[in-house]
Amino acid sequence: MAAAAATAAAKGNGGGGGRAGAGDASGTRKKKGPGPLATAYLVIYNVVMTAGWLVIAVGLVRAYLAKGSYHSLYYSIEKPLKFFQTGALLEVLHCAIGIVPSSVVLTSFQVMSRVFLIWAVTHSVKEVQTEDSVLLFVIAWTITEIIRYSFYTFSLLNHLPYLIKWARYTLFIVLYPMGVSGELLTIYAALPFVRQAGLYSISLPNKYNFSFDYYAFLILIMISYIPLFPQLYFHMIHQRRKVLSHTEEHKKFE
Amino acid sequence: GKHVEILDAKTREKLCFLDKVEPHATIAEIKNLFTKTHPQWYPARQSLRLDPKGKSLKDEDVLQKLPVGTTATLYFRDLGAQISWVTVFLTEYAGPLFIYLLFYFRVPFIYGHKYDFTSSRHTVVHLACICHSFHYVKRLLETLFVHRFSHGTMPLRNIFKNCTYYWGFAAWMAYYINHPLYTPPTYGAQQVKLALAIFVICQLGNFSIHMALRDLRPAGSKTRKIPYPTKNPFTWLFLLVSCPNYTYEVGSWIGFAIMTQCLPVALFSLVGFTQMTIWAKGKHRSYLKEFRDYPPLRMPIIPFLL
Repeated sequence: MAAAAATAAAKGNGGGGGRAGAGDASGTRKKKGPGPLATAYLVIYNVVMTAGWLVIAVGLVRAYLAKGSYHSLYYSIEKPLKFFQTGALLEVLHCAIGIVPSSVVLTSFQVMSRVFLIWAVTHSVKEVQTEDSVLLFVIAWTITEIIRYSFYTFSLLNHLPYLIKWARYTLFIVLYPMGVSGELLTIYAALPFVRQAGLYSISLPNKYNFSFDYYAFLILIMISYIPLFPQLYFHMIHQRRKVLSHTEEHKKFE
Repeated sequence: GKHVEILDAKTREKLCFLDKVEPHATIAEIKNLFTKTHPQWYPARQSLRLDPKGKSLKDEDVLQKLPVGTTATLYFRDLGAQISWVTVFLTEYAGPLFIYLLFYFRVPFIYGHKYDFTSSRHTVVHLACICHSFHYVKRLLETLFVHRFSHGTMPLRNIFKNCTYYWGFAAWMAYYINHPLYTPPTYGAQQVKLALAIFVICQLGNFSIHMALRDLRPAGSKTRKIPYPTKNPFTWLFLLVSCPNYTYEVGSWIGFAIMTQCLPVALFSLVGFTQMTIWAKGKHRSYLKEFRDYPPLRMPIIPFLL
């Protein structure tokens, strides 16, 4: 879901890429875009994020070659993963102040679901850090984000190579299910440890007359993937048809 | 007479042509004529406008006062299935009233079997039930006898959204307050008395504002006037805020939260406050737009602050 959602957030920017967000107000396309200062800042932001996820990608490869196995690679990229994924919270701010024309609600949902998986599941439940499912979503996210941030960078500079656009609207077909699988398997693996430790849970009686069962909450999260994932997935497929066929037509007239 | 053609706002397809329409006919009357040829689109779900992307025309607008020639071209948008405001309000308020009582009486399958139909030993739990029930009975009665709605209907999907919100939160709060393991407020009777006072004052205040707003608008009319304080001291809050009904409503729930010392109630108050602030700001903005002489001291919902 976090993987699916983040790619589906075809968040627009100055140069204008495809927009998968629900925040697109039909009929009122203000192609104003961010000012020069905001554009410069966004280019820097997107370049830094592209670089950050490249660092994670390289880190994974190096660790794999050094260890000779693909198990427990999480530890080798734990810090940059936490840093750059958490840093994506800035994107909510970008929408809120209007330099990126996307819905604050949609962007928040996307970034928060990623941040949730990183901190509230993987970081919090140490026992799952050695699971292979973690590698599965980390790889999916890494490839997705490298493409997504370079897509934005090039769009802002008004020079978007078709390859990047193609990659962004095609690779998700494999990366989404891959990421979702990794996320669900990781949450599932965390369940017994959450139950055992009573992690993030509070029971009655207490003076705030409140209770929270993190175990049940995680199960609800897993169930929510069922309606949400297909919607996001097919939305991206629909966007793909629109964006890539539009380019084909443009090419015809050149 | 004039001619009126109605086109689909999206496809520009000609949907209806009305000839010999009285120039002083209202949009409401035109909507009724349109329904005759397209009975599935009853007037409440019609949005007619002069421009496909423009604002909806009002039911009271008169044909000859519109900037059109002998043939008026109106664009139609389907607003979707509609439901009356009264129906929505009654449903969304009856739910919490009933649901809370299910928890209060500890109906089976909520708490352990040994608690079925038992009664809490804490006075505050009984008091909370009275307050919560009173609040929703008041709302139901106001919906039936006090409020004058400027819109007749809203989209059907709203009833599902609204009921989920009200019914869901009511169940969540009621579960904890009526729980066998409920912990009464830390500062005991003092806290409950203070909270009750806040609650009662705010309920009276909220009711006073509703009555004042009702008296502002004659029955059947849709006129809008600036509300002002009356002899009733509770309405003096109009000096400081545009929507004192919302201010009092938030106050009531804060009172209830203090009374029950229950986190879900506090969260419900917070969510309600957020929504009411959005509504208050919108109302405040339209007051400012419509009335040049709107009192400058007033804030939307919280005196001096918000």
